[in-house]
Formats: sequence, C-alpha cells, structure tokens
Amino acid sequence: MANPFSLPMVGRSLRNLVSRPATRRYPGEARPHFAGTRGTIEFDVDTCVFCGLCVRRCPTVALACSREDRSFAIEQLRCIACGVCVDLCNKDSLHMSMETPRVQIHAGAAPGDPRPGHQEWHQAQPAAGGPPGPGDPAGGVAAAAT
Amino acid sequence: MKRTVVPMGPQHPVLPEPLVLDLVLEDEKVVDAIPTIGYVHRGLEALVERVEYTEFGYVVERICGICSFMHGMGYAVAMEKIMAVEVPERASWLRLIWAEMSRIHSHLLWLGLGADAFGFENLFMHCWRTREAVLDIFEKTTGGRIIFSVNKIGGVRRDMADTELAAIVDTLQQLGAGFAETARIFETDPSIRHRLAGVGVLSREDAHAVDAVGPMARASGIRLDTRLTGTHLYDRLEFEPVLETAGDCLARVVVRVREIGQSIDLIRQAVERMPKAEGAPIEVKVRGLPTGETFERLEQPRGEVIYYIKANGTKYLERFRARTPTFANIPAMIRLVKGCDLADVPNIIMTIDPCISCTER
Repeated sequence: MANPFSLPMVGRSLRNLVSRPATRRYPGEARPHFAGTRGTIEFDVDTCVFCGLCVRRCPTVALACSREDRSFAIEQLRCIACGVCVDLCNKDSLHMSMETPRVQIHAGAAPGDPRPGHQEWHQAQPAAGGPPGPGDPAGGVAAAAT
Repeated sequence: MKRTVVPMGPQHPVLPEPLVLDLVLEDEKVVDAIPTIGYVHRGLEALVERVEYTEFGYVVERICGICSFMHGMGYAVAMEKIMAVEVPERASWLRLIWAEMSRIHSHLLWLGLGADAFGFENLFMHCWRTREAVLDIFEKTTGGRIIFSVNKIGGVRRDMADTELAAIVDTLQQLGAGFAETARIFETDPSIRHRLAGVGVLSREDAHAVDAVGPMARASGIRLDTRLTGTHLYDRLEFEPVLETAGDCLARVVVRVREIGQSIDLIRQAVERMPKAEGAPIEVKVRGLPTGETFERLEQPRGEVIYYIKANGTKYLERFRARTPTFANIPAMIRLVKGCDLADVPNIIMTIDPCISCTER
C-alpha cells in the first residue's frame, strides 16, 4: 500500500484545513458584481421618445412600446439581458443594471398576477395631467418634446 | 453465457446530461452498447426560419452553456464569410482570446466532472474553484459568466483595454501556476492511475476509423486540430497541439490538463502580438441581406465543430446546421465501451467529454 503522505493530494488537503473557504455564505454574503456586468434592463420614462428602435431589434420580443399611448413595457421573464436595446437607444433611456433581482417572477406584479415579470410605464401627456400610469413610481412625468 | 441488458441513463449520477446507453452484459463485461439521444432536443436549428439573421447569434449561443462563446463566434464568422465582411483585426484578436479562455474553463469544468466520476470529489472542487477565476474574467470583459452575447456579425461588442489585457495574462499565468499542483495530481496520483490507466484504450487506427475529433483523437496520437489550419489568426501564434499516444482514459485527461497551460500561453502570445491599438474599431457596419452558403470550422474545447449556413437573400436564413464534436465522438465511445467492465463505463463516457446539449440542439 502506498504511503499516504507520499500521495500528491495529501499536502493540498492538509493546507485546506487551515485555509479560508472558497465559498461564501450566500445570500448573507453576496459576491460584488464587476463593472459592466449585464443584469437587468432599467427604463427611464422621462427621456424616451418612443421611437421603437429597441422594440424592433429585441431578439426575444421582450419590449413593447406605443407612440400613441406613450407607453413602454418590458417583459422581464423574456429578456435575456443581451444589451442590444441599451446599445441602440439614442436617448439613453435604457440602462443595464448590474443587479439581478432574486424574485424576478413577481417584479412589478402582485402574486397571482397573470403577467409576472411585466413592467409598464406610461408617460403623462403634457396638457392632460392625468393620473399616473401603473408601474410609474414617479407618478407620471411631462412628455418629452419630440 | 446469459446476456443482461442494463439501461444506463438518462438519469445517472455520473451523467451531467441525459444520454441513454443500453448496455448488453455478459457477466460484468459489456459486449454491446446501444446509444439513444434526443432527450434535450430543443429545435434551435429550426428557429433560424423564424428569427432574423442578426438576432440568431443570441440563439446560437444558447446551444450550449460551455461552448457558448465558440458557437456565437462560429455563427458570426460564417455569416461574415457569406456577406463578405472584413472584420477589424482587433476584433479577431479579442475573439481568439475569449475562445482560448472558453477552452480553459471548459477543460477545468470537465476535469472536475471527470474527477467526480472516478470518485475524487476533493479534486472536483479544486478544479471548479480554479474555473471561477476564468469566469470572473469573462464577467469583467463581456458582462456575462456563461452567456456572453459579445459576438456580432461584423465584429465584437466589447473592447478590452490594453492594461486589462495585460492584467488578464497575469491572472491566467498565476492561475496556471496554481493549477500546476492540481495537474500533477491528475498525472501522478496512484489512485487515479489505477482507475484510468489502460482503461478504454482507443488505438490510433481505431481513432482514425471512427473519426474521433479533439482531445479524443489527440490522446490517441493523431495530430488533428482545426487551429493548425491557421485560420482565425492562429497562424500568427506558435502552436503545436498536445499529443499523447496511450489512447486510454488517463491520456485523455492528460491532454486536457496540458491544453489548459497551452491555452494560457496562446493568450499570452496573442496579447503580445496583437497591435496595441486600444480604441481601434472592433466592428464594422453590416448592410444588406445574406445570399449564399458556407461552411465554417472551429476547434471547440471538445473538438472540431462544423457550421453550415445557407442564406436566400431574405432576413431569415434558409438553413443552419452545426455538427458538434460530441456527435463525432459517440462512435468512438461505443467502440470503447464494448469489451470493458461495467464499472469502467462511467469513466469512458466521461472521458469523451460528452455535451448532449450541443449534440441535440
């Protein structure tokens, strides 16, 4: 039988007994993201001009917008965070957040909502001053001049 | 002697992905093996008829979570060939660097799975811990750890600063130095030798006969590597494939262990030889619709992959086809399994590095 102390793994294993663990106690200790990490798409309704370029180029048809209604919607469960829309947007209305929400299926929707992961924004008409649209935490903003 | 058929898979502790082998046994000896695939077929190739060619690159990446960069690169390169697009040189260098990093992380992943298959779980953890450093580099440079979305027809979507490239080489060289101890364990540990040496021997002639590719062929002494063709800037690097002659399971492990060091060296050479042109263009605008057909070959971590694309002048391609290395290596696996002991079957299956997701698409 081979001398166990001559085995090449033994030294490494003994060192492991006194070394720090390679893993973290997630979720208590989460690994920080690196700059440029693609997490989740964020939308800024203040600056959008509803040109629809991002909607046409989205590979998974996760975006929808309506120039007439001045509304924009993201289906977060369809989004693959490729970043094509962010690269295309001339108005910097779309941003890539590094955060990846853990409970994505209920983002912006109550439990049992038939459209989990659906986020929608409505831009208030300049003259109408109507009630804020659903999902617009700022309570609606004046439409950007187009 | 009475024969027994033992179905192995699609769920089996050693299989990372679903594959069925009906093993025909005489006592403990395998006399025949009948493979069945098709459990993870997703119809990705057919999607090409409904997804625009500019967006299909994101679908192609999802063929496999390990070779995702290589699949995206293969599709982009093939489309550039059809559309006669000349890609900026810096983009090609960046693709080469990412491709070699893919090879490093794929081999580290496989070495971990292989160690787990022959019951060396401690070694499995060491390999995967080393792999995390490579995934960190991917996340820093592409924004993703598994799916990178960095290839596009006409170039790449992200650049790397020259200082970042130098830092990557430093990190990888430190990783290589740290991995040297793990590599020594794979090559010299008596329990590993006992489990793998002389098991599943694929002779050079047999490897030729069954058209083995990648590390499987190189472990049998065949100097076969698509990088030798010099395409994708490999002609600017000093490259000689890693060869072993034993052709057994241990040789296949050793080839992959040494290819990790070789890939690190290729990345170092690439960073040294690529023009220091930070900020230089990394993509060109692609206009028009593709017409024609083409083949493209790449050396993926598991071996040669072949892409076939046929375009008909519309925004939807007519045909997309990928011949993946695992598919090419399945006949070799069947030949090895016949005649071996039942207890050696898991090791033989693992040492071809099967990727069923790639194979079935």
